[in-house]
Amino acid sequence: MGDKPMLPGETGVYLVMAIISLLSVVAVYMAVKTRDLVKAVIYSALQSGLYSILYFLLLAPDIGLVYIPVAVGLIPGVLLVLISKTERWEKE
Amino acid sequence: MRLVEVIVLISTVLAVALLITVGFEHLVPSERVRPVAEFYLNATYNQYELRNYTAMSPEAVTAIVWDFRGLDTLFETSVFYLALIAGLALTRGLLLERAEKSGHGLSIIVRTVTRITAPMIVAVGASIGLHGHLTPGGGFQGGSVIAVLPMVVIVVFSASFLVIKGVTTTKLLVVRSLGLTGIGLTAIAVFLVGITLHMPAYVFQNMAKPDAQISMPYSVAGALISGTLWFFNIFEMFAVAAGFSIAFIALMLARTLESSRGE
Repeated sequence: MGDKPMLPGETGVYLVMAIISLLSVVAVYMAVKTRDLVKAVIYSALQSGLYSILYFLLLAPDIGLVYIPVAVGLIPGVLLVLISKTERWEKE
Repeated sequence: MRLVEVIVLISTVLAVALLITVGFEHLVPSERVRPVAEFYLNATYNQYELRNYTAMSPEAVTAIVWDFRGLDTLFETSVFYLALIAGLALTRGLLLERAEKSGHGLSIIVRTVTRITAPMIVAVGASIGLHGHLTPGGGFQGGSVIAVLPMVVIVVFSASFLVIKGVTTTKLLVVRSLGLTGIGLTAIAVFLVGITLHMPAYVFQNMAKPDAQISMPYSVAGALISGTLWFFNIFEMFAVAAGFSIAFIALMLARTLESSRGE
Protein backbone atom coordinates (compact mmCIF):
# COMPACT_ATOMS: atom_id res chain seq x y z
CA MET A 1 0.00 0.00 0.00
CA GLY A 2 2.26 2.75 1.25
CA ASP A 3 1.37 6.19 -0.03
CA LYS A 4 -0.86 4.76 -2.74
CA PRO A 5 -4.62 5.13 -2.10
CA MET A 6 -6.61 1.92 -1.91
CA LEU A 7 -8.63 2.72 -5.01
CA PRO A 8 -7.78 5.00 -7.88
CA GLY A 9 -10.15 7.98 -7.89
CA GLU A 10 -11.97 7.00 -11.05
CA THR A 11 -12.78 3.52 -9.84
CA GLY A 12 -14.33 4.99 -6.73
CA VAL A 13 -16.53 7.24 -8.86
CA TYR A 14 -17.59 4.27 -10.97
CA LEU A 15 -18.40 2.31 -7.82
CA VAL A 16 -20.60 5.12 -6.51
CA MET A 17 -22.27 5.30 -9.93
CA ALA A 18 -22.93 1.55 -9.89
CA ILE A 19 -24.49 1.73 -6.41
CA ILE A 20 -26.66 4.69 -7.39
CA SER A 21 -27.77 2.91 -10.56
CA LEU A 22 -28.75 -0.19 -8.59
CA LEU A 23 -30.68 1.94 -6.09
CA SER A 24 -32.51 3.66 -8.94
CA VAL A 25 -33.45 0.23 -10.35
CA VAL A 26 -34.94 -0.63 -6.97
CA ALA A 27 -36.86 2.66 -6.95
CA VAL A 28 -38.22 1.99 -10.45
CA TYR A 29 -39.27 -1.53 -9.42
CA MET A 30 -41.11 -0.17 -6.39
CA ALA A 31 -42.75 2.52 -8.54
CA VAL A 32 -44.02 -0.08 -10.98
CA LYS A 33 -45.13 -2.58 -8.36
CA THR A 34 -46.88 -0.39 -5.81
CA ARG A 35 -50.66 -0.07 -5.99
CA ASP A 36 -50.66 3.36 -4.37
CA LEU A 37 -50.21 5.87 -7.18
CA VAL A 38 -49.03 8.63 -4.83
CA LYS A 39 -46.28 6.35 -3.55
CA ALA A 40 -45.42 5.48 -7.15
CA VAL A 41 -44.92 9.18 -7.91
CA ILE A 42 -42.66 9.54 -4.87
CA TYR A 43 -40.60 6.50 -5.88
CA SER A 44 -40.21 7.89 -9.38
CA ALA A 45 -39.09 11.23 -7.91
CA LEU A 46 -36.54 9.29 -5.85
CA GLN A 47 -35.28 7.61 -9.00
CA SER A 48 -35.01 11.01 -10.68
CA GLY A 49 -33.02 12.36 -7.75
CA LEU A 50 -30.59 9.44 -8.02
CA TYR A 51 -30.34 10.03 -11.78
CA SER A 52 -29.42 13.66 -11.22
CA ILE A 53 -26.49 12.51 -9.05
CA LEU A 54 -25.51 10.20 -11.92
CA TYR A 55 -25.58 13.10 -14.36
CA PHE A 56 -23.37 15.09 -12.03
CA LEU A 57 -20.86 12.24 -11.72
CA LEU A 58 -20.88 11.77 -15.50
CA LEU A 59 -19.70 15.40 -15.78
CA ALA A 60 -23.00 16.72 -17.15
CA PRO A 61 -23.98 19.18 -14.39
CA ASP A 62 -26.10 21.19 -16.82
CA ILE A 63 -28.44 18.25 -17.38
CA GLY A 64 -28.45 17.55 -13.65
CA LEU A 65 -29.55 21.11 -12.94
CA VAL A 66 -32.48 20.73 -15.34
CA TYR A 67 -33.28 17.30 -14.01
CA ILE A 68 -33.66 18.25 -10.35
CA PRO A 69 -36.42 20.89 -10.65
CA VAL A 70 -38.22 19.26 -13.55
CA ALA A 71 -38.20 15.62 -12.46
CA VAL A 72 -38.35 16.07 -8.69
CA GLY A 73 -40.49 19.22 -8.51
CA LEU A 74 -42.60 19.87 -11.56
CA ILE A 75 -43.49 16.44 -12.96
CA PRO A 76 -44.57 14.95 -9.60
CA GLY A 77 -46.71 18.07 -9.13
CA VAL A 78 -48.49 17.55 -12.43
CA LEU A 79 -48.86 13.82 -11.75
CA LEU A 80 -50.35 14.47 -8.30
CA VAL A 81 -52.91 16.82 -9.86
CA LEU A 82 -53.69 14.06 -12.34
CA ILE A 83 -54.07 11.47 -9.56
CA SER A 84 -56.35 13.74 -7.58
CA LYS A 85 -58.66 13.74 -10.61
CA THR A 86 -58.89 9.94 -10.71
CA GLU A 87 -58.47 7.29 -8.01
CA ARG A 88 -55.49 6.91 -5.77
CA TRP A 89 -55.46 3.10 -5.73
CA GLU A 90 -54.69 1.06 -8.80
CA LYS A 91 -57.21 -1.70 -9.47
CA GLU A 92 -56.43 -5.31 -10.36
CA MET B 1 -46.37 -15.97 -11.13
CA ARG B 2 -43.97 -15.00 -8.36
CA LEU B 3 -41.34 -17.49 -9.64
CA VAL B 4 -41.56 -16.14 -13.19
CA GLU B 5 -41.04 -12.61 -11.92
CA VAL B 6 -37.97 -13.56 -9.92
CA ILE B 7 -36.50 -15.47 -12.87
CA VAL B 8 -37.06 -12.52 -15.19
CA LEU B 9 -35.48 -10.12 -12.72
CA ILE B 10 -32.43 -12.30 -12.08
CA SER B 11 -31.85 -12.98 -15.76
CA THR B 12 -32.14 -9.29 -16.57
CA VAL B 13 -29.59 -8.40 -13.91
CA LEU B 14 -27.25 -11.17 -15.12
CA ALA B 15 -27.61 -10.08 -18.74
CA VAL B 16 -26.84 -6.47 -17.91
CA ALA B 17 -23.87 -7.56 -15.79
CA LEU B 18 -22.57 -9.67 -18.68
CA LEU B 19 -22.99 -6.79 -21.12
CA ILE B 20 -21.17 -4.42 -18.79
CA THR B 21 -18.36 -6.90 -18.22
CA VAL B 22 -17.89 -7.54 -21.93
CA GLY B 23 -18.18 -3.92 -22.92
CA PHE B 24 -16.31 -2.48 -19.97
CA GLU B 25 -13.40 -1.23 -22.01
CA HIS B 26 -15.77 0.71 -24.24
CA LEU B 27 -18.01 1.90 -21.42
CA VAL B 28 -15.21 3.64 -19.59
CA PRO B 29 -14.76 6.98 -21.31
CA SER B 30 -11.31 7.32 -22.80
CA GLU B 31 -9.00 10.11 -21.73
CA ARG B 32 -8.57 11.33 -25.29
CA VAL B 33 -10.98 14.02 -26.41
CA ARG B 34 -12.59 13.71 -29.81
CA PRO B 35 -11.56 16.30 -32.43
CA VAL B 36 -14.93 18.12 -32.37
CA ALA B 37 -14.85 18.37 -28.60
CA GLU B 38 -11.26 19.52 -28.75
CA PHE B 39 -12.22 22.34 -31.11
CA TYR B 40 -15.07 23.52 -28.89
CA LEU B 41 -12.96 23.34 -25.74
CA ASN B 42 -10.22 25.34 -27.40
CA ALA B 43 -12.56 27.90 -28.93
CA THR B 44 -15.01 28.52 -26.12
CA TYR B 45 -12.83 31.06 -24.27
CA ASN B 46 -9.92 32.00 -26.48
CA GLN B 47 -9.59 35.58 -27.61
CA TYR B 48 -6.00 35.28 -28.87
CA GLU B 49 -5.51 32.18 -31.03
CA LEU B 50 -9.08 31.51 -32.20
CA ARG B 51 -10.34 35.09 -32.13
CA ASN B 52 -12.76 34.52 -34.99
CA TYR B 53 -14.40 31.39 -33.56
CA THR B 54 -14.57 32.02 -29.84
CA ALA B 55 -17.75 32.57 -27.84
CA MET B 56 -15.84 34.25 -24.98
CA SER B 57 -17.53 32.07 -22.38
CA PRO B 58 -15.67 29.70 -20.03
CA GLU B 59 -18.79 27.52 -19.93
CA ALA B 60 -18.52 25.36 -23.05
CA VAL B 61 -22.03 23.94 -22.75
CA THR B 62 -23.72 27.34 -22.72
CA ALA B 63 -21.43 28.47 -25.53
CA ILE B 64 -22.55 25.51 -27.64
CA VAL B 65 -26.21 25.83 -26.70
CA TRP B 66 -26.61 29.56 -27.38
CA ASP B 67 -23.78 30.38 -29.75
CA PHE B 68 -22.38 27.49 -31.77
CA ARG B 69 -25.84 25.92 -32.28
CA GLY B 70 -28.06 28.81 -31.22
CA LEU B 71 -30.70 28.23 -33.89
CA ASP B 72 -31.52 24.76 -32.48
CA THR B 73 -32.10 26.28 -29.06
CA LEU B 74 -34.36 28.95 -30.54
CA PHE B 75 -36.56 26.25 -32.06
CA GLU B 76 -36.53 24.27 -28.80
CA THR B 77 -37.83 27.38 -27.05
CA SER B 78 -40.55 27.80 -29.64
CA VAL B 79 -41.60 24.16 -29.23
CA PHE B 80 -42.00 24.80 -25.50
CA TYR B 81 -44.05 27.90 -26.26
CA LEU B 82 -46.34 25.97 -28.63
CA ALA B 83 -46.90 23.27 -26.00
CA LEU B 84 -47.83 26.00 -23.52
CA ILE B 85 -50.32 27.53 -25.96
CA ALA B 86 -51.89 24.10 -26.43
CA GLY B 87 -52.20 23.68 -22.66
CA LEU B 88 -53.81 27.10 -22.26
CA ALA B 89 -56.22 26.33 -25.09
CA LEU B 90 -57.31 23.16 -23.26
CA THR B 91 -58.16 25.06 -20.07
CA ARG B 92 -59.84 28.03 -21.71
CA GLY B 93 -63.24 28.90 -20.33
CA LEU B 94 -62.21 27.51 -16.96
CA LEU B 95 -59.80 30.34 -16.35
CA LEU B 96 -61.14 33.28 -14.43
CA GLU B 97 -59.11 36.34 -13.59
CA ARG B 98 -61.05 36.87 -10.38
CA ALA B 99 -60.91 33.90 -8.07
CA GLU B 100 -62.57 33.49 -4.71
CA LYS B 101 -60.46 32.62 -1.70
CA SER B 102 -60.84 28.90 -1.25
CA GLY B 103 -59.45 26.80 1.56
CA HIS B 104 -56.99 27.80 4.24
CA GLY B 105 -53.92 25.94 3.01
CA LEU B 106 -51.63 23.93 5.21
CA SER B 107 -50.64 24.62 8.82
CA ILE B 108 -48.98 27.85 9.94
CA ILE B 109 -45.61 26.09 10.32
CA VAL B 110 -45.57 25.03 6.69
CA ARG B 111 -46.75 28.45 5.57
CA THR B 112 -44.04 30.27 7.55
CA VAL B 113 -41.33 27.94 6.24
CA THR B 114 -42.59 28.53 2.72
CA ARG B 115 -42.45 32.29 3.22
CA ILE B 116 -38.81 31.95 4.31
CA THR B 117 -37.74 29.56 1.55
CA ALA B 118 -39.55 31.38 -1.26
CA PRO B 119 -36.90 34.10 -1.70
CA MET B 120 -34.20 31.42 -1.48
CA ILE B 121 -35.72 29.47 -4.37
CA VAL B 122 -35.83 32.62 -6.49
CA ALA B 123 -32.26 33.51 -5.49
CA VAL B 124 -30.92 30.07 -6.43
CA GLY B 125 -32.78 30.15 -9.75
CA ALA B 126 -31.59 33.65 -10.57
CA SER B 127 -28.03 32.70 -9.66
CA ILE B 128 -28.11 29.64 -11.90
CA GLY B 129 -29.62 31.65 -14.75
CA LEU B 130 -27.48 34.78 -14.50
CA HIS B 131 -24.22 32.86 -14.10
CA GLY B 132 -25.10 30.59 -17.01
CA HIS B 133 -22.12 31.78 -19.05
CA LEU B 134 -19.68 31.16 -16.17
CA THR B 135 -20.85 28.06 -14.32
CA PRO B 136 -22.98 25.05 -15.27
CA GLY B 137 -26.58 26.05 -15.73
CA GLY B 138 -28.32 28.61 -17.85
CA GLY B 139 -31.64 30.19 -18.64
CA PHE B 140 -33.71 27.02 -18.79
CA GLN B 141 -32.25 25.59 -15.59
CA GLY B 142 -32.69 28.82 -13.65
CA GLY B 143 -36.19 29.34 -15.01
CA SER B 144 -37.36 25.87 -14.06
CA VAL B 145 -35.93 26.27 -10.54
CA ILE B 146 -37.87 29.52 -10.14
CA ALA B 147 -40.99 27.82 -11.52
CA VAL B 148 -40.96 25.42 -8.56
CA LEU B 149 -41.97 28.36 -6.35
CA PRO B 150 -45.50 28.96 -7.72
CA MET B 151 -46.18 25.25 -7.43
CA VAL B 152 -45.08 25.15 -3.79
CA VAL B 153 -47.09 28.29 -3.06
CA ILE B 154 -50.19 26.83 -4.72
CA VAL B 155 -49.88 23.60 -2.73
CA VAL B 156 -49.14 25.28 0.60
CA PHE B 157 -51.53 28.24 0.45
CA SER B 158 -54.35 27.68 -2.02
CA ALA B 159 -55.02 27.41 -5.70
CA SER B 160 -56.28 30.96 -6.03
CA PHE B 161 -53.65 32.50 -3.72
CA LEU B 162 -51.41 33.69 -6.54
CA VAL B 163 -54.30 35.12 -8.55
CA ILE B 164 -55.58 37.00 -5.50
CA LYS B 165 -52.07 38.38 -4.93
CA GLY B 166 -52.10 39.71 -8.49
CA VAL B 167 -50.01 37.07 -10.27
CA THR B 168 -52.53 36.37 -13.02
CA THR B 169 -51.99 34.23 -16.07
CA THR B 170 -52.35 37.29 -18.29
CA LYS B 171 -49.48 39.06 -16.53
CA LEU B 172 -47.34 35.93 -16.70
CA LEU B 173 -48.16 35.62 -20.39
CA VAL B 174 -46.89 39.19 -20.87
CA VAL B 175 -43.63 38.28 -19.06
CA ARG B 176 -43.34 35.17 -21.19
CA SER B 177 -43.89 37.12 -24.40
CA LEU B 178 -41.39 39.80 -23.34
CA GLY B 179 -38.83 37.06 -22.71
CA LEU B 180 -39.40 35.55 -26.14
CA THR B 181 -39.23 38.98 -27.79
CA GLY B 182 -35.95 39.59 -25.96
CA ILE B 183 -34.54 36.30 -27.26
CA GLY B 184 -35.56 37.25 -30.80
CA LEU B 185 -34.10 40.74 -30.52
CA THR B 186 -30.84 39.42 -29.07
CA ALA B 187 -30.62 36.98 -31.97
CA ILE B 188 -30.78 39.78 -34.54
CA ALA B 189 -29.05 42.52 -32.51
CA VAL B 190 -25.65 42.24 -34.19
CA PHE B 191 -27.35 41.82 -37.56
CA LEU B 192 -29.30 45.07 -37.08
CA VAL B 193 -26.13 46.91 -36.07
CA GLY B 194 -24.48 45.54 -39.19
CA ILE B 195 -27.30 46.84 -41.37
CA THR B 196 -27.07 50.27 -39.74
CA LEU B 197 -23.30 50.48 -40.15
CA HIS B 198 -23.35 48.91 -43.65
CA MET B 199 -21.10 46.09 -42.54
CA PRO B 200 -21.58 42.36 -43.08
CA ALA B 201 -23.09 40.57 -40.07
CA TYR B 202 -24.97 37.37 -39.38
CA VAL B 203 -28.17 36.56 -37.55
CA PHE B 204 -27.23 34.85 -34.24
CA GLN B 205 -23.76 36.34 -34.42
CA ASN B 206 -21.98 36.76 -31.11
CA MET B 207 -18.28 37.43 -31.57
CA ALA B 208 -16.53 38.63 -34.72
CA LYS B 209 -16.27 36.16 -37.59
CA PRO B 210 -13.62 36.20 -40.36
CA ASP B 211 -15.99 37.89 -42.85
CA ALA B 212 -18.08 39.84 -40.34
CA GLN B 213 -16.01 41.89 -37.97
CA ILE B 214 -18.78 43.20 -35.68
CA SER B 215 -19.08 41.61 -32.26
CA MET B 216 -21.05 42.03 -29.06
CA PRO B 217 -19.06 43.41 -26.12
CA TYR B 218 -17.93 40.39 -24.14
CA SER B 219 -17.51 42.26 -20.88
CA VAL B 220 -19.19 45.25 -19.30
CA ALA B 221 -17.12 47.23 -16.80
CA GLY B 222 -14.80 44.30 -16.25
CA ALA B 223 -17.57 41.74 -15.72
CA LEU B 224 -17.66 39.00 -18.32
CA ILE B 225 -21.06 38.72 -20.01
CA SER B 226 -19.96 36.74 -23.07
CA GLY B 227 -21.80 38.91 -25.58
CA THR B 228 -25.22 37.53 -26.44
CA LEU B 229 -25.06 34.57 -24.04
CA TRP B 230 -25.95 36.58 -20.94
CA PHE B 231 -28.93 38.21 -22.66
CA PHE B 232 -30.16 34.89 -24.04
CA ASN B 233 -29.88 33.34 -20.56
CA ILE B 234 -31.77 36.09 -18.74
CA PHE B 235 -34.58 36.27 -21.30
CA GLU B 236 -34.87 32.49 -21.42
CA MET B 237 -35.02 32.44 -17.63
CA PHE B 238 -37.99 34.82 -17.56
CA ALA B 239 -39.73 33.00 -20.40
CA VAL B 240 -39.33 29.54 -18.88
CA ALA B 241 -40.26 30.60 -15.33
CA ALA B 242 -43.38 32.41 -16.54
CA GLY B 243 -44.28 29.56 -18.90
CA PHE B 244 -44.17 26.84 -16.25
CA SER B 245 -46.01 29.08 -13.78
CA ILE B 246 -48.82 29.69 -16.27
CA ALA B 247 -49.19 25.96 -16.81
CA PHE B 248 -49.47 25.31 -13.07
CA ILE B 249 -51.84 28.11 -12.27
CA ALA B 250 -54.04 27.07 -15.18
CA LEU B 251 -54.05 23.43 -14.10
CA MET B 252 -54.77 24.16 -10.44
CA LEU B 253 -57.42 26.84 -11.06
CA ALA B 254 -59.16 24.58 -13.54
CA ARG B 255 -59.18 21.82 -10.93
CA THR B 256 -60.63 24.00 -8.16
CA LEU B 257 -63.29 25.45 -10.43
CA GLU B 258 -64.26 22.00 -11.65
CA SER B 259 -64.60 20.59 -8.14
CA SER B 260 -66.59 23.60 -6.90
CA ARG B 261 -68.84 23.28 -9.93
CA GLY B 262 -69.42 19.60 -9.24
CA GLU B 263 -70.55 20.16 -5.68
